[in-house]
Amino acid sequence: MISSKRTKCPTPSRWLAAALTVNAITAQPALAAPITFNTALPVASGEFLARQQFIVNQSGDDPSGLNRDRMAKTSVTVLGYGASPKLALFGVIPYHDTSLSLTRPDGQRVTRSASGVGDITLFGRYTLLQHDEKGKNFRFAPFAGVVVPTGVDDKRDAIGVLPAAVQPGNGSWNPLFGVITTYQTLNYQIDAQLSHKIINTTNGFDAGDVTRLDASLQYRLWPRSLKGRVPGFLYGVLETNLIHQQKNAIGGASDPDSGGTRLFITPGIQYVTQRWIIETAIQIPVVQDLNGTALENDYIARISARFNF
Amino acid sequence: MKNIITHAIVIGMLLLAPMHGAFAQTTEYKIRVDGLACPFCAFGIEKKFNKIDGVKFIDMDLDKGIVTVEADSVKLDDAQLKKLFQDAGFTYRGKQESVK
Repeated sequence: MISSKRTKCPTPSRWLAAALTVNAITAQPALAAPITFNTALPVASGEFLARQQFIVNQSGDDPSGLNRDRMAKTSVTVLGYGASPKLALFGVIPYHDTSLSLTRPDGQRVTRSASGVGDITLFGRYTLLQHDEKGKNFRFAPFAGVVVPTGVDDKRDAIGVLPAAVQPGNGSWNPLFGVITTYQTLNYQIDAQLSHKIINTTNGFDAGDVTRLDASLQYRLWPRSLKGRVPGFLYGVLETNLIHQQKNAIGGASDPDSGGTRLFITPGIQYVTQRWIIETAIQIPVVQDLNGTALENDYIARISARFNF
Repeated sequence: MKNIITHAIVIGMLLLAPMHGAFAQTTEYKIRVDGLACPFCAFGIEKKFNKIDGVKFIDMDLDKGIVTVEADSVKLDDAQLKKLFQDAGFTYRGKQESVK
């Protein structure tokens, strides 16, 4: 049960009730939502929400013999606005700090790194189907957007221009589209997303297009009963991320050591109140069917918070 | 003469006193809403009610799908509530109202 009081309360009992319910507002449970993708974020018409994520992406399983080790730390700010009851607009602003170490053929170990604002993603989601019942709902929504080349893509160090895997930006306008569906009850929520991102050529380099299928289950672990007022909801989260990337092309020639398919299993946990959510998850690669000597992921760790304005 | 005026004022106030209650009466609305499954989403409902002058109490029972609103000096009608819940992302089903 959620309740709130306006500040205009005419009697002492109302003031007492107000004080109690203000406490309830700040401590009430809220919606779970996927941790590894942003397209299911709920936002009411005329309202704003924000999500701040910190992501550590570690890759170090290198079949090439160069002993490559890549660490990408990313801060991602997501802002959402409900333009209408059905249309929501989102902006995703990343800040990257990436380093890549490798052993050169002469035996020297080198580390190359870069940091900066990455490419901003803008997208809109339109709720095409909505079915509501008591204590449950279903949503189906296509979304589309574009990745804007706001990040620098030609950073250099003492050796020369940094490789694309280290650059904060990609340098091209990249459209993306997909569908997101959500089924939500008081006890659990299921989200599934299918998306595709077309990555265009820049400076002769064409990163492979990315297709991904993501699913998320959020199950209320605590409290088990909804009777009475509770301090918050604790959700157990299990997500899967199937990601396929086509091979890169350099100067029009396909790179045999790039692209492939990854499957992540992502356990996580969320603590949810009415106005904020804190959550963490770790993406564990269980299948990495990569081409040639493409670098394999070790893990992707995420921690994030979400706020209702 | 002064006493007569004073008495008239006192009597007048006594006669008008019950009408004050009539103007300040509180109406309680029990509103049935479908799709209400998460308080994070429900926060949008609370914000929209808080923008209406006269609304002074909002209470949501997720388990029953009932939003309880108490309001002074404002009448909440079906069209207004339907739009409010639609904007918040839910489906308005109906209301019962009573004077407290």
